[in-house]
Amino acid sequence: MNRITKRTWLMGLFIMILVGGMLFFLGEYMFCASDWVIFSGSPHIYNGTNIGFGTVTDRSGDVLLDLTDGRTYSDNSLTRKSTLHWLGDRDGYISASAVSNYAGEMAGFDRVSGIYNASGEGGVATLTLSAQIQNAALEAMGNRKGTIGVYNYQTGEILCAVSTPTYDPDNVPDIASDETGAYNGVYLNRFIQSSYVPGSIYKIVTTAAALDCVPDIEQMSFTCNGKLEYGTEAVTCEKAHGTQNLKRAFANSCNCAFAQVAELIGKKNMVQYVEAFGVADSITFDGITTAAGKYDVSEAAPVSFAWSCIGQYNDLVNPASYMAFMGAIAGGGSGARPYIVSNVTSGGKTTYQAKTEESGDLLSAETAAVLQSYMRNNVQSVYGDWNFPGLSVCAKSGTSQLGGDQAPNAMFAGFVQNEEYPLAFIIVVENGGYGSHTCVPILSKVLAACKNVMDGE
Amino acid sequence: MDYFVEAPQELTTEYIGFLRYCVPVLTALLLLRCALPLLTFRREPEIWAWLNMPDGNQIPITHWETVIGRSKGSDVTIELSTVSRNHAVLTRYDDGSWTITDAGSKGGTFVNGKNVQICALEPGDRISIGGVEMRLQPITERQEERQAQLRTKAASGWDGVINLMLLTILQCLMLLGFMLKCQREDFISVLQGFGGIILSQWTLFIFYAIIRRKSFELETMAFFLCTMGMAAIATVRPDETVKQMMALILGVVVFLVIGWFLRDLERAKRFRYLAVAAGVGFLLITLVFGTEYYGAKNWLIINGMSLQPSELSKVCFVFAGTSTMDRIVNKRNLFLFIAYSIVICALLAVMNDFGTALIFFCAFLVIAYLRSGSVGTIALAITALGFAGVLALQIAPHALQRFTTWRHVWEDPLSGGYQQTRALMCIAAGGLLGLGPEGGLLQYVFAADSDIVFATISEEWGLLTAVMTVVCILVFSLFTIRTVRVARSSFYSIGACTAASVLLIQTILNCLGTVDILPFTGVTFPFVSNGGTSMIGAWGLLAFVKAADTRQNASFAVRLAKKGGSKD
Repeated sequence: MNRITKRTWLMGLFIMILVGGMLFFLGEYMFCASDWVIFSGSPHIYNGTNIGFGTVTDRSGDVLLDLTDGRTYSDNSLTRKSTLHWLGDRDGYISASAVSNYAGEMAGFDRVSGIYNASGEGGVATLTLSAQIQNAALEAMGNRKGTIGVYNYQTGEILCAVSTPTYDPDNVPDIASDETGAYNGVYLNRFIQSSYVPGSIYKIVTTAAALDCVPDIEQMSFTCNGKLEYGTEAVTCEKAHGTQNLKRAFANSCNCAFAQVAELIGKKNMVQYVEAFGVADSITFDGITTAAGKYDVSEAAPVSFAWSCIGQYNDLVNPASYMAFMGAIAGGGSGARPYIVSNVTSGGKTTYQAKTEESGDLLSAETAAVLQSYMRNNVQSVYGDWNFPGLSVCAKSGTSQLGGDQAPNAMFAGFVQNEEYPLAFIIVVENGGYGSHTCVPILSKVLAACKNVMDGE
Repeated sequence: MDYFVEAPQELTTEYIGFLRYCVPVLTALLLLRCALPLLTFRREPEIWAWLNMPDGNQIPITHWETVIGRSKGSDVTIELSTVSRNHAVLTRYDDGSWTITDAGSKGGTFVNGKNVQICALEPGDRISIGGVEMRLQPITERQEERQAQLRTKAASGWDGVINLMLLTILQCLMLLGFMLKCQREDFISVLQGFGGIILSQWTLFIFYAIIRRKSFELETMAFFLCTMGMAAIATVRPDETVKQMMALILGVVVFLVIGWFLRDLERAKRFRYLAVAAGVGFLLITLVFGTEYYGAKNWLIINGMSLQPSELSKVCFVFAGTSTMDRIVNKRNLFLFIAYSIVICALLAVMNDFGTALIFFCAFLVIAYLRSGSVGTIALAITALGFAGVLALQIAPHALQRFTTWRHVWEDPLSGGYQQTRALMCIAAGGLLGLGPEGGLLQYVFAADSDIVFATISEEWGLLTAVMTVVCILVFSLFTIRTVRVARSSFYSIGACTAASVLLIQTILNCLGTVDILPFTGVTFPFVSNGGTSMIGAWGLLAFVKAADTRQNASFAVRLAKKGGSKD
């Protein structure tokens, strides 16, 4: 008998496996439960592919989306359309990654109570967007495709980020059988998921690089005959601009002059500046990583390198990322990083509060100051200051050639200098034609809406 | 929606808020009160006889089976070269009579000068082993009575009543939660399910009181586990609560019947052959008439009732593995048992039921080690399992898939890791205190009330309570380890250890499989998982643990000590 009772230690082995396994699991629970609960598909948090829990409001507290019982969007049809790309649709074609990123905070998750505290009413995520501005921007875009982004470069709040085409989730059109092309890329949030050929708005990058690395560049003069030949190929302008200094060439958006500036900068320097400014990079905020841009001149012939400094060749920028660069110029070399979720509350407690983060010095204060004056000059001498009453706008237009028989994309990027309206913006109108001609009226309406909203706050 | 009670929303919310704290606190209290006496009782050996040695020494005989031999592991060690390592076995019977059996010794065993193989002993008989003469002096009935009175008492009757009251309060509070959250027709079946448990636990308790048995801790914990399982079923499949409750009642009956067989060692030994045959029989019937579900042909459908006879085979297997010392020292018996195990495993392999095969294998390991004590044998067996496992994975690729997703469930959350990831998500959503009855969403995932029931309980009643269900099984095992030290016969020691090990292994595979610590095998959680045969099997196994509990008046599966010389 003794020997049998002594052999019962074998059971101790199984007990150790169970106790050890359970302790290991409890350890995992301590460290990973907050990830488990918000993992895509988590039954309490998700409804299909999108978060199925809580409420999303705009910056003024207007409810954009109530997830408590299904998905109830705003009762304003225009708001439903203008904010769709940030809220997600019912079928899971559009994912609301920024909101989903705070699923855990919305659920009010903690290790002791799980999601119990919020399970009644759900949390509230407040976006930095303003429905009023979104609607103004959508109306200004009309049925053109593209995107408009406006953000506060001192705080980082994105006030406006519209992507078109869009649709009313409460009145879904027959997208699948549409043959007019009106809904091409409708599920794409162009502000974060697209990259565009920048065209002449890239001259801001080239000018910044030249101001920084070419001595006495402001005193130099550049002659434009309408064409600068590189062997069989050439950089061309629409007309001969004659002899200009850098500031004038920037305002004229003179390709021939910028081809000469490009030579002065040199390939190696240009690559370094693009990298330092971050204009070809993606940016990350609220769990979103935007599409990346592109600047690759490793195999570019001199004429291609010249075009790359004019925002053509194979250049690409992401609208959100370029907008952040505008913010850095406006902020004197460093701007706030953009974000879209302002705060999250759950069960009466604030579970997330956005904080302003600086981009760090992308360019020197002197360079930024000169760029500011050049871009201000553009508006005053070319685009028309009267379009923006009460605002001192600095900008650069672009008309990016797409090749083939496609109409060019109209681009417009810049910022407002007023202390009380620290806004940086970008506008992309696909196949919109001439940059400033298309974009200035749109910007005029959007900035007016922004001013209106900010005055009210 | 048609709710049973039109309670105001705030009241329901407040009550659930109260319930979330109440359930873990009551559970902890109940567990503490049940576990403490089981884990802290004084283990005092019973003395059944004295062995008078030629030098005047008296050696106490503390078990019903005593090995005399040269080896250190013997109960009575005689260090003489003329004595074999295992020389002879002294065996006591229920009626107080003794025999001595020669264990194939070289020198032979002599009683009153006669060389015997097996011989009944009368008081004063001269036993001679390897030239050493000794006499067996059994204790008198009066001594036996005195010894029984002095033995550690199991918990007093009132402790049992208090524990059971606590459990009943817990059940009623949970039931009230369901009443506030359930729809009318669902609540009626939930009420039947919970009511059935409450009724059967009190009936069993009163039955114990009538037959003067006082230890109800193991049963209280088992009923608690059944309650948590019923709560999961109430959420997931309210229409099956009655079925589960019937299985529970049947399980308690099986528990009593097996316990009754185990009371009388001679009867149990005879019954053992029947159990051995039934173990194979259950599997054969399933193999011939069974239905294949989810890759394993382990279901038997009779009149719309689905049974899993392999769950009952486990109980038979435990029976088959038990043995008395006089047989254990004879190696031939172990080979018979190995052959039997191979037959069982082969049948399970043909049925494609690898989860159950794994449990049988572990049970086999426990039995083989307890009986042989040979680490080498165990190593060989494990190696054999390794080869068999590799072979099985070749033949059944669906089993391999479980291993490839193991510890990688988050990389495959929509197919191979679906159940485990949902389980973890919902465990996290429930937190330590749970979301309350009907508050969970794991119920829509397949097998939420069986294979991943641990997560369903955790989601609705909290991780604390879910962990305490596992602790219950741990307490069963720890109690078994403690109590087999003073068990009377190795038949009971082996039975209790194997039964507790099977419960333990099933819990390991079920709970740790659910949370992706071990590969997911789809084994049931004893007493908790939805499944009638599994429930009956679990109660059957618990009877073996009860049979090893020799505390005074503790267990119905152990005969009461004789009173004042009256015959039992």
